[in-house]
Amino acid sequence: MAFEAVPGLVEPREALGETTLVVDPARLLEAAQHLRDEEGFNFLADIAAADYLGWGHHGVAGYIGTAGGRDINYPGSQGYAKRPDPKPKRFSVSYHLLELSDTPRRVRLQVWLDDGEPIPSVVGIWPTADWHEREAWDMMGIRIEGHPNMRRILMDDDWEGHPLRKDYPIGGEPVRFSEEEA
Amino acid sequence: MSVIERRKVVYEGTRIPTPIPTVLQPNPEEVPLEDLMRINFGPNHPSTHGVLRLVVDLNGEHVVGVSAVIGYLHTGFEKTMEQKTWWKAITYSPRIDYLSFQNNELVFVLATEKLLQLPIPRKATWMRMCMAELNRIHSHLVWLGTGALELGAISLFWYAFRERDLVLDLFEMVTGYRMHTRYFQVGGLAEDIPPGFYAEAWKFVERMPKAVDEYEALLTDNTIWRERTEGVGLLSADDAIALGQSGPMLRASGVNWDLRRNDPYLAYDQVDFDVPVYHEGDVFARYKVHMDEMRQSVRIVAQCLERLEAMQGEPWIADDRKVVLPPREELHTSMESLIHHFKIVTEGFRVPEGEVYQAIESPRGESGCYLVSDGGAKPWRVKFRAPSFAALEATATCMRDAAVADMIAIAASLDPVMGDVDR
Amino acid sequence: MMSIVSSRYDIARFGMERFSSSPRQADLMIVSGRLSHKMAAPMRQIYDQMLEPKWVIAMGACASSAGMFNNYAVLQGVDKIVPVDVYVPGCPPRPEALMEGIVRLHEAVNAGVPPAYQIRGVGE
Repeated sequence: MAFEAVPGLVEPREALGETTLVVDPARLLEAAQHLRDEEGFNFLADIAAADYLGWGHHGVAGYIGTAGGRDINYPGSQGYAKRPDPKPKRFSVSYHLLELSDTPRRVRLQVWLDDGEPIPSVVGIWPTADWHEREAWDMMGIRIEGHPNMRRILMDDDWEGHPLRKDYPIGGEPVRFSEEEA
Repeated sequence: MSVIERRKVVYEGTRIPTPIPTVLQPNPEEVPLEDLMRINFGPNHPSTHGVLRLVVDLNGEHVVGVSAVIGYLHTGFEKTMEQKTWWKAITYSPRIDYLSFQNNELVFVLATEKLLQLPIPRKATWMRMCMAELNRIHSHLVWLGTGALELGAISLFWYAFRERDLVLDLFEMVTGYRMHTRYFQVGGLAEDIPPGFYAEAWKFVERMPKAVDEYEALLTDNTIWRERTEGVGLLSADDAIALGQSGPMLRASGVNWDLRRNDPYLAYDQVDFDVPVYHEGDVFARYKVHMDEMRQSVRIVAQCLERLEAMQGEPWIADDRKVVLPPREELHTSMESLIHHFKIVTEGFRVPEGEVYQAIESPRGESGCYLVSDGGAKPWRVKFRAPSFAALEATATCMRDAAVADMIAIAASLDPVMGDVDR
Repeated sequence: MMSIVSSRYDIARFGMERFSSSPRQADLMIVSGRLSHKMAAPMRQIYDQMLEPKWVIAMGACASSAGMFNNYAVLQGVDKIVPVDVYVPGCPPRPEALMEGIVRLHEAVNAGVPPAYQIRGVGE
């Protein structure tokens, strides 16, 4: 899967059988157009935004298991505390694309953003992005420019805050004797 | 691309509304805007599937403007699952799409196992397939019963639910619970398959095709049903792909795409089944796709049962004690088992750092789970790709030139489950 | 809840098979499942549209107390906005459990127990 021709490509990553293309947010529209027209990814499955605030603040010991057995030489697999690799910016927006053809392929187009940094809307390329982008705005506060109908979709119209962010409290009622999350 | 079989032109060009693809706005040149009546269809309505709200502009009996408002069942699954360990989070996933619950569990568990790179025993794989297909039959039965009920074929509701109770009996026999069974564990299944299951399942497999014949005898050649569903809610293949449709919506528009065949997971490449594809792109085609899928699911269940009967006595869960609880007998004799049990129950197993997207073919289409793990005991980010969410984006396109009665038929054929839409 | 109308569990034995399409002609409101904050206002509106005497059954753990969803999106129990007569536990409750709840409500009404809004003093 040669993806060198994608405009704005920062790096392609292969992990767990999946390809992730990290692109520059300023060239997102060109990259999306290229992937749809030249590479044939005509189906946008999902737009997933993720908030990495607080990533890596606790060291974690990873258990690395493979089909051949545990790799005890892999760093972090035997109880040594290992911090996860730091992320470039706070938010990532991943576009999961699928090529509906006889040779199906999946790819993840990923951009990294700071809080408040806008990205262009891909509604003109994949109309299904309409509601997915509204959800990204509603839940994570990702600013999307050029969207024809940017309103809250899952929460009330006058809700304040973006619930899925890491600094938004879980809410609900406090329960006695429940541990406090660190 | 032979996946998109262009055997019939449903309509020329595209009917996706502009500028907003999901909102149909009345055209001032065609209808005088002062004569329109704007009414609210839902959220509490007997004919919308759950709490869907459609704001429609009516010109007499015809729908000239429609906009779907969702969010009335938003439960905050994704944020809640971030607070729970990986094991506890599995409990939340079946309640998202509450009619195809095994499929939701399956996608989450498969995604977690992909991150862990954990090998699964084949008995677990085949049983998962069997349960997922039984769940598909269940979901289609509920769709058929409630859809027919809304269109006026009220008696079909009781016929469909008679078989639905049989499926739920099978689930109860295996897992102890009718719905939201939480039977799939990371690593395999929670418990072994009870020996009485096979006899009951074979009885169901023999009965189900005759039941589907009964439903078809009631509906397929029924003049009223055909009048109300043929030519209604048209969606062409290109529009369907552009709108992110999947599952029966796509297959009724002529796109030969089924994740079980084109991108197989579990053991779907080792079973024999057909993928029904129809080309008219209307509500009747979607109905035919659902009925044929029920028959094909019965075929898959029969093949799974044959293979499972030969696997009796094999392990049903992976052996990796860092992730899977050890069997209880061992806790009395082995110190390591005790420690593993303690660590897994109190802290939870840790999943290596990474991100993964796993998609399966749920009864409504492509159901996906995007997981990000930071190497800890709790998921960092869980995002479910909900097929009903995408299906509702197509309301505006399908409801062009619809009358009020057609609107009900179209909303039923999109098969939305509001838990899935709002998560 | 759909199962109790079906032929196996048959709520029609107890005279409860008529699911009214309009709240103005209903006596009993069964709140099934989780109630999000966005839906709370329409639900209260429907409760207000019912004519007295009226009863409410909170079906399921999520309606009774928000169940497993202790978060920002779910109303922590519908009894925060409507007075509830019977709470049916379960996630989801079995059809037999819901029928038991309805039958107990019948017995309570026959015994002369006033509806919940009178007991809790939250009249109109």
